[in-house]
Amino acid sequence: MKLAAWALAAAALCLAACTTVAPYQRGYLAREDMALDANPGFAKAIEKTFAAKEAASGGASVGGGGCGCN
Amino acid sequence: MAAIDALMKAALALPILVVPAKASAAEVGEVGITLLGYKERGLMKVTEPVLWGRAEFLDAWEVRASAAVDIITGASPQLVTNAGGKPVQSISGASINDRRNTGDVRLTRRFGDFSLSASRALSKEKDYHSKSFGLEARWDLNQRNTTLVAGYGASNDRVLSSDDASLHQRRDTREYLFGVTQLLSPTALVQSTLSVSRGRGWYNDPYKLTFTFFADGPPILMADRRPDHRDSYAWLTRYRRHFPEAHGTLQVDYRYYRDDWGIRAHTLEVAWQHALDERWAVRPAFRYYTQDAADFYSPTVPRPQPAILASDQRLGSWGGVSPSLRIIAKLEGGVTVEGTVGYVHNARNLHLGGSSSEAFETLRAVYGIVGISRPF
Repeated sequence: MKLAAWALAAAALCLAACTTVAPYQRGYLAREDMALDANPGFAKAIEKTFAAKEAASGGASVGGGGCGCN
Repeated sequence: MAAIDALMKAALALPILVVPAKASAAEVGEVGITLLGYKERGLMKVTEPVLWGRAEFLDAWEVRASAAVDIITGASPQLVTNAGGKPVQSISGASINDRRNTGDVRLTRRFGDFSLSASRALSKEKDYHSKSFGLEARWDLNQRNTTLVAGYGASNDRVLSSDDASLHQRRDTREYLFGVTQLLSPTALVQSTLSVSRGRGWYNDPYKLTFTFFADGPPILMADRRPDHRDSYAWLTRYRRHFPEAHGTLQVDYRYYRDDWGIRAHTLEVAWQHALDERWAVRPAFRYYTQDAADFYSPTVPRPQPAILASDQRLGSWGGVSPSLRIIAKLEGGVTVEGTVGYVHNARNLHLGGSSSEAFETLRAVYGIVGISRPF
């Protein structure tokens, strides 16, 4: 619950602090290097590689399934 | 000017969560192939080709899919023993040769400011089968300055063993996701997601053993025994900011993870993608990871013998760094070629704060990823 409270507080702070970006101002935001999930092949390969060696995993999506690597 | 106009049209048409818009309005999809090579010093070697693609159709639909094969060879730590005095990993004599086939598909339908996605993923290796699905809803608010996401996922897995034909156990997981993406300025955005996972079933590693000798009694050989549940939280925050004058973009990802096994972990990755010119870009990155040990982690079996204990050092207390460098080239026809080289160094003295696990043995690995993609 403490974690959820921190997450909500951060979200509220973010919403309160930012300004509205008009559609015509979003040219830079549409750049590929601004993507949250870049090349899917790279992301899948590297995430699984780290997840096989670490105890922590996940966070970005759900329903990805498991593997016998950890 | 035509390129800028097309870029603006793409930006206006897309929700902010699919920001990687392509410059040409005529493009309706993309397909790519990626090849990973990973090699640990003295241990495993992994080769993984990944084929992926995405396509938009009928105005409001999008499909994404990928398929991959993991080919794993080499040696794996099987036994932790203090036969020599100090507990150390003992490598299995037989060489591992495993193969994992996996694939997933995701279908998304947009309804104005809403979108709904359904996904299915399958994974199969000789000692582990996984079937999962996911549902995700997104809602664009505030003139698409804000996007909320909620998701549900379920995974039904089966744990088998190459050494024990009778082992056939379930592991079922339910996952929940909540998140928000916010545009901060014309050059910055942030996303924060909280995922909650509830797992039940078989978590024991059928290949791990702990063999402990005592000065005043017979040794104990204990199989890996873990709780039959695992509940976890992962809070991931991602920040992107473009610096037009510097021709670069700062990419920062931070994840906090905790579970009811007692593990607390922090992951921070900072990258700078720098455009050298219209064709070439480089992306140096640095990743830091640290975790606390699971409550039941121990490299030796204490007396009296506990009901649950694991000596797998991945459940220990340690930290790791991983620098990497990616080079990206944009070729004719929208073809993108990328290559990444990276180094992984996990060690007990890289653990952040508190005491680290003395028995943790340093892991060094190198990896390389090459990929090519093209729009269609």
